[in-house]
Amino acid sequence: MTISITELSSYIGVTPATIERWVRQGRIPASRSKDNFRFRIQDVEKWASRQNIQLNYPGSRRTEPVDGPSVKLSAAVKSGGIYYNVQGEDKNGVLEAGLEIMENIPADFKQDVLERILEREKALSTGIGNGIAIPHPRDPLGYLAYPMVTICFLNTPVDFHALDHQPVSMLIFLFSTSLSLHLPLLSSLSRCLKNHRFTEFLKTGPSLENLVKEIEILEA
Amino acid sequence: MKLQRFLIPMAFVKTSYIFLYNRLFRHDDRLLMIAAGVVTGICSGLAAVALRLSLEWIIECLHPVRHYTWAIVLPGIGAVLSSLYLNKIVKEAPGHGVPEVIYAVSRYGGLLRFRSSFSRLISSFLTIGSGGSAGPEAPVVMSGSAIGSNIAKVLGLNDRQRVTLVGCGTSGAIAAIFNAPIAGLIFAAEVILGEWKFVNIIPIAIAAVAGAEVSQAIIPEQVLFNHEPFRLGIIDSSACLGLALGTALVSVLFTKIMRQSGRFAKGTKVPVWCRAAIGGSVVGLISMKFPVVLGEGYSYIQSMISGTFSMGLILTGIAVIAKVVATSATLGWGGSGGIFAPCLLIGSLTGTMFHQLIVSLFPETGFAGSGAYALLGMTGLISGVMQAPLTGIFLIVEITGGYETILPLILVSSLSSTITHYIEPASFYFKELIDRGQFLRPGTDARILADLNLGELLETKVHTAPENMLFRDFIELIKISEQNYFPILEEDTNRFRGIIKISAIRRYVLDPGMYDMVFINQIMDTRILAASMTDDLQEVLNLMDADAMDTIPVVEEDRFIGMISKTKILDLYRRELMMQTSPH
Repeated sequence: MTISITELSSYIGVTPATIERWVRQGRIPASRSKDNFRFRIQDVEKWASRQNIQLNYPGSRRTEPVDGPSVKLSAAVKSGGIYYNVQGEDKNGVLEAGLEIMENIPADFKQDVLERILEREKALSTGIGNGIAIPHPRDPLGYLAYPMVTICFLNTPVDFHALDHQPVSMLIFLFSTSLSLHLPLLSSLSRCLKNHRFTEFLKTGPSLENLVKEIEILEA
Repeated sequence: MKLQRFLIPMAFVKTSYIFLYNRLFRHDDRLLMIAAGVVTGICSGLAAVALRLSLEWIIECLHPVRHYTWAIVLPGIGAVLSSLYLNKIVKEAPGHGVPEVIYAVSRYGGLLRFRSSFSRLISSFLTIGSGGSAGPEAPVVMSGSAIGSNIAKVLGLNDRQRVTLVGCGTSGAIAAIFNAPIAGLIFAAEVILGEWKFVNIIPIAIAAVAGAEVSQAIIPEQVLFNHEPFRLGIIDSSACLGLALGTALVSVLFTKIMRQSGRFAKGTKVPVWCRAAIGGSVVGLISMKFPVVLGEGYSYIQSMISGTFSMGLILTGIAVIAKVVATSATLGWGGSGGIFAPCLLIGSLTGTMFHQLIVSLFPETGFAGSGAYALLGMTGLISGVMQAPLTGIFLIVEITGGYETILPLILVSSLSSTITHYIEPASFYFKELIDRGQFLRPGTDARILADLNLGELLETKVHTAPENMLFRDFIELIKISEQNYFPILEEDTNRFRGIIKISAIRRYVLDPGMYDMVFINQIMDTRILAASMTDDLQEVLNLMDADAMDTIPVVEEDRFIGMISKTKILDLYRRELMMQTSPH
């Protein structure tokens, strides 16, 4: 099997011009056909190990971008769902009640998720002001099948130790399956919440269908 | 029609050669290189023998007229013809040509012109035949190297293989002209290639054998200088210390006068052929009193080695100076030839002089004959001037067949080259190259930097920004890019205006209040140094250091071409270092 100068240059990580020079200088074994060069894989491997040069075959190098596979906020909300009239007297109460009614979190894990969320709240409140909190666990939840954003409207506003000391009436749970998903989701969520019109709309307690549509518009 | 009939088989030969090359020699070219080395050795050996025989012939022819007074113009006429031929007909630089070969080897993979394979033979034939003070060795080295280079071209070989064949040409030529195969091999590796690698040495050794065989087949004489075996004792070995000092001083003197006279000649405002005439006439004038300066002077060396040389101490000393001046006048002023033979003659004169000196100082001590000292002096001068101790040792052993002198030879050779190195760190051959910044020995920093060209390092996929961009939009550009440096171009014309270094504007980037307040031409740096594609890497690195930049823009006629970063340079530099210093 032979490879071309461009392929070889991507394996070694130098420009094709460098490889051409190496061939001209007789530093790398190549066979010449008409006016371009071909390299046999075995020759190249032998040569690379002799010269102590590392070959990076396609796939062996980390090719996926730093962001990882992206999930849209609208899709995460769609799989998370909306719950209205969540009961509870205080911070812990509403968090527990919210988790309790969520259908997409397996019952076995609910206790674990709650503990993680409370732990995160202990560090710093996720109440971002304006009556909204974004509770989430610090570490990604590996046992979930897909990332979810779940919105719970509280029956009565509770004190959440929010930044603006206002009681919180809306919880936006953020569950991600990996760290690389967490940041983009959080980032697009905060971009949406900066939009004044959107927050007003959100406070009206819209249906899941309408909310997803609205987010899709903002995401586009 | 005729041409076509000729071309079709040629094309067939070429296709089958490429096929065979790919099949047989792509992995292991050793057999091919040995075969090509033999051919190169034979060809350069023939060239050397041809020059040797034609020089003998012309000296024979001119012998009867030597005693006329007008014969002193002969070296002048020869030098004029030689310089006119080099300048007007083949258009090559005067001198001996060895630095050119070394430079071609280190910079252009040994690429030499075809005409170089005969041009120096003819010009040095004219110079030396007429009596100019020079030797035929450097010209045959030049022509042997050019023959090797052109054989490589015909065979379609790569740079590494071509360099080996240039070495083969050199060793074949030296082997043939001195009948000294080991000296040929060592000179090629020590002086011309500057590296000892297994893949080079074998073909070069074979070529030396081929060259020596050719020479022995045509000229049956076995040893250049005959002598009775010398008996050297411990006392002579101690005397060698003094001799080494003497030869080192003469070497430095010779090198300095040669270079000064060359510089002086270049400074004069007379045509090239006039210069050659002046140089030649000087030699002619000196030869009236000291015929020893004429030509290569091998017969005088022979007489010194045989111990039949008749000049006294002071006269010998003056003869050393006379030969140095005559050689400088010949080579520095436009004649053509090498310094091997002058070195041998000056060396044997120095040795003889030293012997006369110590004998007169310590008449009771039993020193060896003056011939032995002539021989040691030759080694001292070759090693001193060329700073190639091994070449000095083996050349003298081979041309005199005097293996019994090997111990003092090694002593004089190593001491002489060391002392010379103290006073004059660059050898005669390298000095010229160093002055021109062309001294690029294998595995050195300069060589690696010279091999990497900017095109291989240039990063062209770079985000640029127009100078009237709003800072807020620029922030968006920063978000999607991983660059730390952003080139800023003039709108419409795309001329390069300056650069934005993220680390320099970090303060503003973190201040959203600035986003809509400024345009990026207000914060860009316009005093940035830029490289151009014609710069070599050394200059680019100097620019980066001067500005403490780790990335530098490349700009050609106000147009932005790309960026060059130290990260990329380090990456490629390391690979190149590994490539060039790997033992294979």
